[in-house]
Formats: sequence, C-alpha cells, structure tokens
Amino acid sequence: MYLTNEEQRLLDGEFGYALETAMSVLVKFGDMYGADKMIEIDNVHVDASTYSGIHEAGLQFCKTLANENARFKVPTTLCISAMDFSLWPQLRVPSKFAKKQMELADAYFRMGATPTWTCAPYQYGSGIRFGQDIAWGESNAIAFANSVVGARTNRYADLVDVCAGLTGKVPRFGLYLNDNRRGQVLLCAEAIETGHLSCTDYSALGYYIGAAVGQKIPVITGLSPKSSVDNLKGLAAAAATSGSVALFHIVGVTPEARTSADAFGNNVVQEKISIANEELQHAAMQLSTVEESQPDLIVLGCPHCSVEQIGEAASLLEGRKVRRNVQVWLFTSRVARMLAEKKGYIRVIEAAGGRVLSDTCALHLPLHAWNFQTMATDSAKMAHYAPSIVGVDVVFADTKECLNYATKRNGQATCCSWKKR
Amino acid sequence: MLLMEEEIALKCRGVVGGKAKGEALVTIEPISFWGGIDPNTGRIIDKKSRSYGKNISGKVFVFPYGKGSSTSSAVLLEAVRCNKAPAAIVNVQTEPLLTVGAILGMKLYGKSIPIVDHVEKNPCEVISNEDFVEVDADRGILVIKRPRTCERSTEDSPG
Repeated sequence: MYLTNEEQRLLDGEFGYALETAMSVLVKFGDMYGADKMIEIDNVHVDASTYSGIHEAGLQFCKTLANENARFKVPTTLCISAMDFSLWPQLRVPSKFAKKQMELADAYFRMGATPTWTCAPYQYGSGIRFGQDIAWGESNAIAFANSVVGARTNRYADLVDVCAGLTGKVPRFGLYLNDNRRGQVLLCAEAIETGHLSCTDYSALGYYIGAAVGQKIPVITGLSPKSSVDNLKGLAAAAATSGSVALFHIVGVTPEARTSADAFGNNVVQEKISIANEELQHAAMQLSTVEESQPDLIVLGCPHCSVEQIGEAASLLEGRKVRRNVQVWLFTSRVARMLAEKKGYIRVIEAAGGRVLSDTCALHLPLHAWNFQTMATDSAKMAHYAPSIVGVDVVFADTKECLNYATKRNGQATCCSWKKR
Repeated sequence: MLLMEEEIALKCRGVVGGKAKGEALVTIEPISFWGGIDPNTGRIIDKKSRSYGKNISGKVFVFPYGKGSSTSSAVLLEAVRCNKAPAAIVNVQTEPLLTVGAILGMKLYGKSIPIVDHVEKNPCEVISNEDFVEVDADRGILVIKRPRTCERSTEDSPG
C-alpha cells in the first residue's frame, strides 16, 4: 500500500507509541484487503465502548493510549456502555464491573470522545452528510450511515475504530469506492405495501432481507417514499443482524437510489426476489422462541428509541399501570431521554411503572440477576440475540402488543408473536 | 515395525508474521471467538461446535474461517493477555478483522501469534488433532509432523 511521507513517519513511531500502534493496525488491515492507499476520514463512531465486549485487554489498550496523551483527530462518538451511568445500581450491575466501565469511559473522555453512548448516533450526536468518508463501528449504525445518509464506511472491528479516530485515516477499499456501492440483488416488496407499516413491520422486513442477501447489496422497491427515519433504523438493524448488510438501497427513498438504474449502476441484477406477507411472516416466526407467552420483561429501543418512539410508548402507557412481575424497559440515548423528559414523556412512563434507560443495551445488562424467563420485544435484532446471549425465551411482537400485554388488568393475559395483518 | 515420523511441508500465505509450533487442534466449522471461546481459559464454549470443551491454549488452532468477527478481535486479544491464546492460527481464509487481536497482542504484550491461510491443501482436511505442526508465517511454510508406522525392509537396514 502506498503511504505518504507523513504516514510512513507515523508508522515508524516518530509521533509516539500510540500513533505508531494505531497506524500499524490500519496498514496491516489495509494490506489484507488489498487497499491501495490511506484516505482521510471526517468522523468516527467507536463500537469498542463496553467493558463486557472489549474485556480487560481492550481496557488496558485504551488506558495506555490515553496515558500516552493520544487524542482523537476527528469528531468521535461512543456506542453503548454496558450500563446506564446513572441508574446502574438499580439495574443490579455489580460495582466492581461498574468501576471498570467507568475507567473505560474516563480513558475515552481523556482522548476527546463525545460521550453519546448510543447505538443510533445518526439520530442524536453525530452530524454526518452524504458522500462523506467516515469510520463507524456497530452494524446498525454502519448500515444506516451508508444507506440512509449516503456517507461511506466499511465494517470495522472493535479497536480498529479507535485507531481510525486517532490517526483520522483509514485504508481505502470496499465501500469507500463508487463501484463497490452499487446494488447486486433486487427485492420487490410491492406486495406488502398495504397502507401504514409499523416499525416492527420494517424490522421483520429487514430480517428477511438480510437472510436473503447475506453479504450482497440489496436494492429494494415498493416501499413508501414516506418511510420514516425510525422505520429505516429498524430495517437497517435487522438486515445487519440476519446478514452482514453494510449497505442497502431503497428506490425513491435512499440517496443513492433515486431510480433502480441509479442503484444498480453498471452492475447486472444477480438475483430477483419478491417479498409478500408470507415471507415477512416466515421471518417473524424464526424470531419468536414461543408463539404466545407471559413475558416478564418488555424491551423496547433496539436500536435506541427516538424521542418520537418514547412519545409513542408514553401515549400507550398513559393512565395505565404495568402489572406486578412485569418490567417495561425502554432503551435510548441520554440526549433523547433529556428531550423526552422536557416533553413530559418520561414522567408518564415512570408513573405507569416503566423505566427509560439511557447509555446502554439489554444484551449487556446482568439480566440473569433478575431471573427473567421470557422477553417480549418489537426489535428483530434484540429477538435474534437475546436467546443466545441472555438465555431467555423471546416473543417478537409489535410495540402496541408488548405494552397492551404489560398493562392488562387480567393477570392471565398473554403476549402474542407478531403477525402480518 | 519401526515408528517413524512423517513430514509434510505445505506452502501457505503469512497473514500475521512469526514462527510457532505445537499440537494441532482442528475444527471443521467456522468459529466465532466472541461467544465461542472463553478468553480466560482458552476453552471452546460454543455448544454447537464439535470441538466444544476443547482448549485452544498453546495449540496450533486450525479452522476454516472466523465469523461474527467485530468483537472477536478483542476476545483474541484478551486471550493473549490471559496467556490462553493459541500458539498459531491456520485458516482456509483468514477473516481480516480477527488479525487485529494478533497484531495488538504483539504490540501490547510482546506475544506473537503467527496466522497463515491459503494453504496449498485444505488444512482442515490434511491436519488432524494428534499432529504436531510448525508454522513459519514469515516464510509462508507449515510443516505437519506425525508418527508413521512402516515395515522395515532389508534395503533400509543399516550395513
């Protein structure tokens, strides 16, 4: 790979140990993918942000960098933490573990990261634009940034994102190049566009799409030009869960797909797949480990809820009470939580007995300490991971079904798995 | 009957440099270090793996490729820190994201884990669990050594 004078000097250690280490990781990484040179990036989202994910070695790495006075060269946001920084004792997080997560937070603060602690930085915290080269971690954020915003990033491993932030550089390959951003597989979703689709519908759709295309780039037709940011967030997260989708195009919706021809460019259509209600139903069925159950935990906000989604939950919970032995947990960013608080949503949810948690994710909290048996969630991503990571049964249901169940007076009531109406 | 050693030398691509040797641990299915290996012990904890319960620590770990890789690099790095990393890794095709753990392991703890792939024969087929394997990622060569039982013929007899 070609290196400029300055890049070679970084690699030779002339600017210190931290930058030498970061540069050596990036150069090796680029060599493996056949990159021709390094490019400058404008923005980084660090996924190496949970102590549970990066372990003691990752923490030591970050502390070493901070102690070496390494500083992020470009605006750098942080993905989720393994706990809510305010409410962690109530969530039964062991204090020894909390201390480690705080040490990691401290290292990142010293390096100059913005403490967004969110998996949806594109909604609150990160200002990125069309065509911009960036280096982002976290699969849903990568898919959203590439597809919906039209910024450009490859998939990064934990800690490579940190190296990119310190140098402001990444090797050029993959999705930074125009030719690699064109569609490969056509997905026709006209048959399911029957009026208003919910966020859960988009999540199921994304889950189907990811499994159908794997690593290829899908071009989707037949979705409403009114598809909301929250709906696209759900689709991106699900597609990046069942497949390794880092970029998708929706004709008439996403910026590199004004038309189908635009989305495919010079590529031939390798495959054409039609999606109807039946396919969505099939995807949804794989997500629930039980069809109908009495969940003891409701998880909403994967990826993190927007203010509008918190508002929707508040309106469904207003004047009602969450029944005993059921927990309702909404996950969001600290910024969205603060705004939702100003709008009065948090008060309504808490009055009903729900919790609004920020900075974190249910998959990283010590759910075993609560002895939960069954989770209901409106997110395909959460439903996919929870059984293996947390060891609970899962009902994949829409937001309304989850909250109606949680607040029913009749203790025998059940929560039913999502069905395409 | 005489126990002799059979040696098979194969060309390969050095992905992360260095030399190492050890007993082979072969798994034919792709493995995710995250959720698949406990970095504190080196044990394979993925219940779906046919090598469940085996230990990769100090072994020449042979598997087709890594999956679920974005956090796997950090798990490999943690295994290095805990002295539970494999001696070397041999893949059909190395997942680039996994190499980050090996590169940082060298930088932070001065411990090298050579990684090779593109072996001229499928390593998951030619290498077995009892084999002793020497990996030279700098020169792109791996040598499989295994005991071989052969008939002693008169021609082979000394003097």
